[in-house]
Amino acid sequence: MAIIREFIRRLGYLVRRQQMEDELLREMEAHRALMEDPRAFGNTLRLREEARDAWGWNWLDDLVHDTRFAWRTLRHSPGFVVTAMVTLALGIGVNIGMFTVVNGLLLRPLYERPDQVVSIYGRSTAPDEGIRGISYPNYLDLEAGTTSVFSNLAASSTVLVGLDAGEGARRTLASGVTANYFDVFEQSPTLGRPFTTEEEKPGADNRVAMVSHSYWTQRGADPGLIGRTLRINGVPFTVIAVAPRDFAGASIPGPDVWLPLGAQTAFEASTSADGTLNSREAHTLSVVGRLRSDASIESAAAAVATVGRRLAQAFPTYNAGYTLQLTPPSRFLFMPGPGSSAFTAILTVLLMAMPAIVLLVACLNLADLLLARGHVRRQELAIRASLGGGRWRLTRQLLTEALLLALAAGVVGLLLSRWATGALLTSLRPVIPVALSLPELDFDWRVLVGAVGFSLLASVVFGIWPAWLSTGRAAVTDLKRQAGEEGRRLGSVRVGNALVIGQVSLSVLLLAVGGLFLASAISAAAADPGFRLDRGLVVELDSSLAGYDETRAREANLALVDRMRAVPGVEAVTISSSLPFTSFGDSRNVAPAGVADAQAKAIDAVFNVVGRDYARALGLPMLDGRDFTAAELAPGAEPVAIVDDLLARRLWPGDSALGRFIQFVDGEGPEAGRTMRVVGIAPTVRHSLSNPQPFPHVYVPLGQRYESAMTLQLRIAGNQSEPTMLTTVSRVIREFDERLPIVRLETWRDHLDTGLDSWVYRAGATVFSAFGGIALLLAVIGVYGVKSYVVSRRTREFGIRIATGAHPRALLWQVMKEGGRITAIGLGIGLLLAVAAGRLLQGFLYGVEALAPVVLVLTPLILLASSLLASYIPALRATRVDPTVALRSE
Amino acid sequence: MMLVLRVLVRQPLHGYAIAQRIRQLSADELSVEEGSLYPALQKLLVKGWVKATWRESDSGRQVREYRLTASGKQQLEAEIGEYRRMTGAIDVLLKEA
Repeated sequence: MAIIREFIRRLGYLVRRQQMEDELLREMEAHRALMEDPRAFGNTLRLREEARDAWGWNWLDDLVHDTRFAWRTLRHSPGFVVTAMVTLALGIGVNIGMFTVVNGLLLRPLYERPDQVVSIYGRSTAPDEGIRGISYPNYLDLEAGTTSVFSNLAASSTVLVGLDAGEGARRTLASGVTANYFDVFEQSPTLGRPFTTEEEKPGADNRVAMVSHSYWTQRGADPGLIGRTLRINGVPFTVIAVAPRDFAGASIPGPDVWLPLGAQTAFEASTSADGTLNSREAHTLSVVGRLRSDASIESAAAAVATVGRRLAQAFPTYNAGYTLQLTPPSRFLFMPGPGSSAFTAILTVLLMAMPAIVLLVACLNLADLLLARGHVRRQELAIRASLGGGRWRLTRQLLTEALLLALAAGVVGLLLSRWATGALLTSLRPVIPVALSLPELDFDWRVLVGAVGFSLLASVVFGIWPAWLSTGRAAVTDLKRQAGEEGRRLGSVRVGNALVIGQVSLSVLLLAVGGLFLASAISAAAADPGFRLDRGLVVELDSSLAGYDETRAREANLALVDRMRAVPGVEAVTISSSLPFTSFGDSRNVAPAGVADAQAKAIDAVFNVVGRDYARALGLPMLDGRDFTAAELAPGAEPVAIVDDLLARRLWPGDSALGRFIQFVDGEGPEAGRTMRVVGIAPTVRHSLSNPQPFPHVYVPLGQRYESAMTLQLRIAGNQSEPTMLTTVSRVIREFDERLPIVRLETWRDHLDTGLDSWVYRAGATVFSAFGGIALLLAVIGVYGVKSYVVSRRTREFGIRIATGAHPRALLWQVMKEGGRITAIGLGIGLLLAVAAGRLLQGFLYGVEALAPVVLVLTPLILLASSLLASYIPALRATRVDPTVALRSE
Repeated sequence: MMLVLRVLVRQPLHGYAIAQRIRQLSADELSVEEGSLYPALQKLLVKGWVKATWRESDSGRQVREYRLTASGKQQLEAEIGEYRRMTGAIDVLLKEA
């Protein structure tokens, strides 16, 4: 209390300081007037100063004074300010930008007190430790049996759906949830009402929906959205609520729409009408719960395990062999089961490493600039030191300047980062297969703390040292500097050189890694897929998203292929369940039929359900045998298959596969365990970019298996333009059924280029090259700065040498040589770092080695050229030194 | 500072008078430049141990008079106690040696 009262009194002195000063002066004068010998009073000025000290505001005076002074000096050197600001703002901007993204995606909790929330899943006691979700009846028992440890236990099931709000269907995530789902996350709807327990029940089929907050705001935050109709997979649902603002889903990306669990059967084509929700064997739900505040994780795990054992005893048919376990909910997985937080940590470190390196380069640069500036100002500093400015006082002055710069750069960087964040997010979008509903990427306190932190770090760590150096004891001797004293202070040149070496090596590192990704992107683009890319179009459709059932979808698929075939300019068209160069592929173990050790002989092959003309549509001939017939595309026909050359040779080495039988050893679906007659041999094509080895394929006709998501592949005539044909195809589909969502429509070339594999290389190339480019720019500024500094220091020396007849070219050469030397050292270190980083990133690269020529030759060349250019200008200045001026300048 | 507080115990005084009193009491032994009284007084004000008011002196001048506060009295007692213990300890040391 005493301290607070004292502080308030101090504040009083601050606010009414003029009055206080006046009173003190009056009082002292009165005292002196009474004295016989006023000289015995002492120095009034000094005493007043001491009295003011007692008020404790001198540091503030100094700060204000320092800041004003810094402002005045900085205003007089705009060149320095601009360079320093650009350097720092770039460094800070990219860091905040990246941090905003990392924070939103990886760090910020998705809901309140996440440590209380756990997810529950079933784990097989068999050695494979298979993981599965929890069925609705099991969930109900689990909820009833764990009320002592969970305040709320909810279940959800998230699926990809076609969502159509009258603007065309698009694929997005929908989540069926129990009525208490939002209670677990302690949230309630922004608008409308929560789901009821009645709506949750199997068979309730009340078709109501809650849209996500971002879905709502993207459509103008119109309260009138409540009551409107949305089509989910073609089934109409009424919007009754808008989800809470601070909850975008329990994982990323979150769903765009939530439904009561009891309504989910309405649109899930794969679910039969009796409602799988009721069956104890449908282990599909994700279960999350919030711990009671008085319950521990251990007690919850025990309670859950107990229920698990009880369920296994009561319903062994469905539950034997599985235990129930707890895990923290996964941030990126909406499926049941444990996720890895190590992934998040690694990704955070990787993503933050790049901008951190740029910031480091920027800071080294700033240190350089400040050092050079300290030298330029040595005269001024020397005068101030000789007038009684203590070293600490002068350092503080210089530090204030650095701080002012850093804070200003921080503000500019904050603005820059908004743009950087946008750019980063835009580059993310094309690879995510669904419309993203990301948590809002706001500046929250973490980002602001980060911004201020980066600025302070930059200025303090990298400002204090040059300031200390510049105000050293030599400052005073600078006033009366004699010739020949240069040597003694070359220490700070050496420091400058070390800084430049650091910058150069870090830029090499970033540029080289950028180069590696660029080379990957180029070789990925040049990769031979095994078929012709030109004149090929791909269309991805999912008729279940428009509410088609199997019978209708089968008819529609065939009808659509016929329509396409009739379009003028289409040479060949086929339909298939899987498309090469997408992130998801289906594969099966295939073995010759009838062999005893089928499991051991089986070969993993890409599994593709196709129509007729598959090879033709890829522009390839069948190698042997025949294509499927129209009859084989219908269910119930004789089971036949086409294998590719590679699979045929592996299954029957040295023998023809034609007419033989294959069997599907394990796997799922109707074809599991069945045998099929091989009727044709297709040529081998590649299925993935990241795997350089071709992979065996097995093709079965549409009749053998139904899949709702299908792809049309078209080959167009040589005289047709691809863009026109894309428009035509899209029009034909819309005429066919306007509700049918077109998930993808593009040329083969574009498909390959926008695939996940290619994207990784291109994103890597862009990001690393951008960061590398920034670092290079900074390094060049650094080289230039140090060289200019050296030349300005040695004006006198150069003057003398010119006066004594040295050839200007010799001076030019000397300065350039020194610049080249530090660059070379930096290059050497940088290349070693780059090769190490290349090794580390090998898994992400395609068709390049860590020791690729681009790293070993191109990067050094770029660096060397830029750095020589940067030292050329100062070198030129050295040769233009006028001896008479130089000698007089001291 | 202890001396200043001590002098103010009996009655409120203005700066010049404080200086006079200290000189008298110490019989000129502790003669320092008188002005250094003022930084000390400012410190006491900030600490809240004394309060200052302007008033007209008997001789018709405007003087600033300092008055000891309750917390100032406590402080003085604490300081005197501290001082006594210190000198006591030194006394013992000197006698034993």
